[in-house]
Amino acid sequence: MSSILEEIETKIAGLKTSASKSNVGVVRETGDGVARIEGLSDVMLNEMIEFPNGVFGLALNLEETEVGAILLGESTKVSEGDEVKTTGKLLQVPVGKALLGRVVNTLGQPLDDKGPIKSQTFYPLEKIAPGVIKRLSVSQPVQTGIMAIDAMIPIGRGQRELIIGDRATGKSTIAIDTIISQARLNKAAEDEGAKDYRPLYCIYVAIGQKNSNVARALDVLEREGALPYTTIISAPASDSATNQYLAPFAGAAMGEWFMDNGMDALIIYDDLSKHAVAYRQVSLVLKRPSGREAYPGDVFYLHSRLLERSARVKDEFGGGSVTALPIIETQAGDVSAYIPTNVISITDGQIYLETDLFYQGVRPAISVGLSVSRVGSAAQIKAIKQVAGKVKLDLAQFRELAAFAQFGSDLDAATKARLDRGQRIVELFKQKQYNPIPVEEQVAVMWAMQNGYVDPVPVDRVKEFQLKLQDWLQTRKESLLRSIREKKQLDQELEGKLKAALEEFKTTWQ
Amino acid sequence: MRINKEIRQLSRGMLRASFTDGQLDRGKIASLVQSLITKRPRHFMDVLQYYKRLLRLEVEKRHARIESAMALSPQVAADIVARLKKKYGNDLTTEFVVDPTLLGGVRVRVGSDVWDGTLRNRLERLQQQL
Repeated sequence: MSSILEEIETKIAGLKTSASKSNVGVVRETGDGVARIEGLSDVMLNEMIEFPNGVFGLALNLEETEVGAILLGESTKVSEGDEVKTTGKLLQVPVGKALLGRVVNTLGQPLDDKGPIKSQTFYPLEKIAPGVIKRLSVSQPVQTGIMAIDAMIPIGRGQRELIIGDRATGKSTIAIDTIISQARLNKAAEDEGAKDYRPLYCIYVAIGQKNSNVARALDVLEREGALPYTTIISAPASDSATNQYLAPFAGAAMGEWFMDNGMDALIIYDDLSKHAVAYRQVSLVLKRPSGREAYPGDVFYLHSRLLERSARVKDEFGGGSVTALPIIETQAGDVSAYIPTNVISITDGQIYLETDLFYQGVRPAISVGLSVSRVGSAAQIKAIKQVAGKVKLDLAQFRELAAFAQFGSDLDAATKARLDRGQRIVELFKQKQYNPIPVEEQVAVMWAMQNGYVDPVPVDRVKEFQLKLQDWLQTRKESLLRSIREKKQLDQELEGKLKAALEEFKTTWQ
Repeated sequence: MRINKEIRQLSRGMLRASFTDGQLDRGKIASLVQSLITKRPRHFMDVLQYYKRLLRLEVEKRHARIESAMALSPQVAADIVARLKKKYGNDLTTEFVVDPTLLGGVRVRVGSDVWDGTLRNRLERLQQQL
C-alpha cells in the first residue's frame, strides 16, 4: 500500500504544474459515427481528437468553419455541445511479436480472453510506403502449398497478389490454406533448427465479415496449429464503419514492424470490397462529393496507398518484407466493376476464381487463363521451375482443344495425348481445403506427370494415385524429399533417384 | 438548411465588408443586413443564417472567457485582461465566469485556444498518467 502511495507521490512531484495550452472545439452535430465540430482551429488532417468520456475521433474533413471527424469507439457517448480537444498525435496501434496468436480489434485491443497485449512499440496507422531506393526486387517464394498456385501463379515475398471471385468460390480458403502452409513451414524450420529459413508471420484482417466466419477461421487456424504465427484483426459487420475502414491500415502497420525488423510478414485483407463500402459510408455521412457507384473520388488512393505499403526492402532499411493478399468479391463474375478494376490495376497479378469451375468440382476453382502473377518465375525455386515450366502452356492448349474432346475417337494421336495430359493435370491440381502440399512433394508429383508416369492411370483414379504417391514418398523416401527440399533443384542424381522411386512405386500401384 | 455555394459566397462577401480597420463595425453590419432584407435576393434567409454564424465565430475569436473556481479579485482580473489584450489586441472582449467544479485555478479560452491551469485539469492529467 505504501509503495503505491509513494509512486503516486513521485508522479505528482514529476507532473508539470504549469498551465497547459490546448486547442478546443465544440460538437455541433453528431450521428452515424461522425461528428461536426466548430472551432479546433489548429487541428491537423488525420489527427486524433479527444472527446469527453474517453472517446477518440479522427479529423478527416477540415472545412472553413467546421471539422468533420469520425468517431472511434462508442459514438453514443458523444453529444452536442461537448468540448473536443486536439491531441497532436496520430492514431497508432501496438505492434510486435506480442500480437502473434491473438485476435484484436482495429485499435489493437484484445478480443480473446488471453489477457492484455504486452507491447511497448506503437506504429501509426497511416505511413508513406517505402520509396524506390529502399526497395528490392521480389525473388523469394511464398509457398502457398496450393499446387496450382505454386506451379503456375507463383507469389513472392513483397508481392501483392489479388484473390478475386464471386461469393462462395473459395477465396478465403486459399488465404487460410496459405497461412496453414506458412505455419507448417515455420514449425518445421524451428524443429530442425534451420537458421537460414526466414519464417513468414501472417496477419489476417477480416473486414465486414460475419462474426461466425471469423470464428470459423480462428477455429481452423487453432486446430491446424497455425495460430501461434498469426494475428487476426477483426472488424466484423457489426463493427462501426470507422473501424472497418481503419482495420486494413492497422494490419499494414503491424506488418511493417516485421519488415523493419528484418522479418517477413504476410497480410490478408479479407475483403477490400467491404472495405470500400465502409469507406463509402464514412465519406457519404461526412458529405464528401461522391463519384462512380457513389464511391468518393479518393477510393483508388485509399487502396493504392494501402497496398503500396507491401514491399521487400534492402538490408540497410530493415531487410524484411510485407506480402499482401487482398481479396475482392465480384458480383456475377463482373471484373469490370469499379473496385475490382481498381484493385486489379494496383496489384502485381490476380488469382481469379470461377463459379463454374467450382461446381464442376475443380477446387480450388482457379481459372488458369485469367490468373497471372506479374512477378513470374523469379519467385519460384529452381526445382518447381524445372517441372512446372510448361504446365501453364499445356493447360492452355488443353482448354483450346477441350471443345473437341467429345469427338475423342476421331482425333489424331498427338491431340489425344495432349487432351489426356490436360485432363490429368486438372485432376492433379484439385486439392482438398486446409491441406497444403509441401513444395518437395509438389516437385515429385509434377515430375511424375511430366515424365509420363501419370498417363497410364485412368482420369478418375489420378487423385487416388497422387495421394498414394505422396503417402508412399513420405513414409518410404523421406531422404529423397529432404534432399529436394534442401538442394531446391533437380540435378542428374536427384532425377535418377526420383526415376528409381517412381519405378518402384509403379509396381506397388494397382 | 441546405448551404450551397451561392449562399456561402454571398455570406463570406458580407463578412469581408463588415470590417473597418480590422475590427467588426456594428454600423456596417446593420446596413448590410438592412440592404439584404430590402433587396430580398434568392435564399436571403439562409444567407442571413450563415452570415450570423460567421459573425458569431468571428466574435468568438475576439472574446476571452475567463473561468475560475471563485470570483477573482479585481486586481488579478485586471492583470489577466491586460495580459490578454497585449497578446490579442485591444478589441478583445472579456467575460468572467465562476465555476466551482474547477476546484481551483483559472481557465482562459480565446477562440479555440485554451490555457488551462485549473486543479481539475491537473488531476485529470494525473489520472491519465497513472
